[in-house]
Amino acid sequence: MSELHLTAVGGEGFQVTPTLVDFNLRLVFTGSGDMNATAVVHEYLKLVHEEALRIGLSQVSCDFKQLTFMNSSCFKSFVVWIDTVKNSEIRYQIAFLTNPNLPWQRRSLEALRRLAANLVTIETIA
Amino acid sequence: MTAVDDVNDAPALVSLTLSFRPQATQIGPLRTLLADLCKPHVADADGLSRLLLAAHELLENIVKYSVGEVAEFHLRLEAKATGLLVRLRTKNRAAPERMADARWRLDALAAARDPIAHYDELIRESAGQRDVSGLGLARIPAESEMALFYATEQDWLILTAEGKASERVSQ
Repeated sequence: MSELHLTAVGGEGFQVTPTLVDFNLRLVFTGSGDMNATAVVHEYLKLVHEEALRIGLSQVSCDFKQLTFMNSSCFKSFVVWIDTVKNSEIRYQIAFLTNPNLPWQRRSLEALRRLAANLVTIETIA
Repeated sequence: MTAVDDVNDAPALVSLTLSFRPQATQIGPLRTLLADLCKPHVADADGLSRLLLAAHELLENIVKYSVGEVAEFHLRLEAKATGLLVRLRTKNRAAPERMADARWRLDALAAARDPIAHYDELIRESAGQRDVSGLGLARIPAESEMALFYATEQDWLILTAEGKASERVSQ
């Protein structure tokens, strides 16, 4: 299996950390996805898609347990990513792992699931 | 930045008016301040989460699009017999092209029968427009369950989001 070419990104207030297990990529988001994080998220999700195709991932899991907020611009980056996967010849599943104590997550992510119900799943993690 | 009590309205649980030069770095601390002010009164976490989401999107909107030096942000939290009502209002000067775009988006939002269906449609459309978000204001009625209104005064854009933050007030 190929080595992962993605590294952790972000800085004070927002980080994304990748881990590859078998053919599942887990991205752990921490902090607040606000205006300062928008460009990071946008560029990172492009790289994630390239890596997914290169390695032949079956699933990318976005762990939002420690993501306190996501603004509409970061949200839009996920819309673009999901739409890219949806229109790709090679597809993979996208799972969002949510924190039940952060109610905005389920509301926001339901909209992403409605965008591509056959690709996107939402799970609650304790 | 100045913060003053809004003394012109009836008594409120929280009433805050800010007049400030908006900057991106202020939004996080402002959200924290709003959370601290409202949390003692909002009985459920979902209600507080919806309130803060609407406040965040309105604040980002004025940071991104206001011209001129000063913008205003107003929050009012009021206990009614039907529950806890919140009103958020921003006022900022806007460039003509931004004003036209905002009016177009807000008129479409007002005309939509179902804010969630409208939001879903905007999301689908925005997927192909890589450099424009355009989702922030529509997110407010769809996810915060608040009504969104606008008014203009010359080159000033005034946005008001109103809704129920909670069915009940914390004791």
